[in-house]
Amino acid sequence: MNKPFLVLSLLTLPFLATAQRKAINLQQPSAARPLSDAILVGDTLYLSGKLGHDAKGDVPATFEEEARNALEGQRAVLKAAGFDFADVVKVTVFVTDLKNFADWNKVYSEFFKVDPPARSTVQVAALVRGGHVEVEMIAVKSGKPHMAPVSGK
Amino acid sequence: MPEPDRQFFVSPVHAKGMPFCDAVLVNGTLYTSGSIGWDYDAKRLPENFADEARQVMKNLGVVLRHSGHDYPDVVKVMAFISDMSLFEEWNRVYREFFPQEPFPARSTVAVAGLALGARLEVEMIAVKRE
Repeated sequence: MNKPFLVLSLLTLPFLATAQRKAINLQQPSAARPLSDAILVGDTLYLSGKLGHDAKGDVPATFEEEARNALEGQRAVLKAAGFDFADVVKVTVFVTDLKNFADWNKVYSEFFKVDPPARSTVQVAALVRGGHVEVEMIAVKSGKPHMAPVSGK
Repeated sequence: MPEPDRQFFVSPVHAKGMPFCDAVLVNGTLYTSGSIGWDYDAKRLPENFADEARQVMKNLGVVLRHSGHDYPDVVKVMAFISDMSLFEEWNRVYREFFPQEPFPARSTVAVAGLALGARLEVEMIAVKRE
């Protein structure tokens, strides 16, 4: 990074830290999908719920595959915004059947190996396009290393 | 007394007697309660789903404006519908209120039930534009 650009970046930093917003779109919004993949506002990234359909738009044969697709999908959105899983602070998971809870946790743990964020998982009546799992996230950019989790009372 | 760091809004479309406010503004971020499509003039939920969805969005418009915000300030939307077969119609009505990009981030799920037999409940997070 050259010096004038660095100075400019530093000058614009306070504005970025306020309510500047940016839409992140890996998939272009459409009439059938009137949403952004994510909105970055200040240093907070709000991600739309992500389903686990395959590249052809079909529901994968196994729940594990579907769960992995949903999380890989969110990885791509995070990356496009300059974030990664370490920046995620809150996750909401919607499943159509809690019998998949153990499988869900297994796959999820592959993505959040250390210091997993806050998370809620609920069973819903149905998801879009026959999906079995949908994941939404909130991430906050810190740029600093994680603090160890505080355990106990 | 220290300066309060948050505001609780009770809007003109507040569900009277309910133990929640309509929105809380904290650190520049507004969190709305879930709104249903109660028509406060007619004192009922609209008959057809499109009107109900429109009423949900109008009610949230009242909440947003009451707290000094408006639709373009919305960054995240969470929608709960009673039946996934209503999804396309929900999208159609939604676009009347969010006609162009950037669209807020949004999730829509079908749930087992909503208050008062509503078919749609929507909550929003908003941050005022510069």
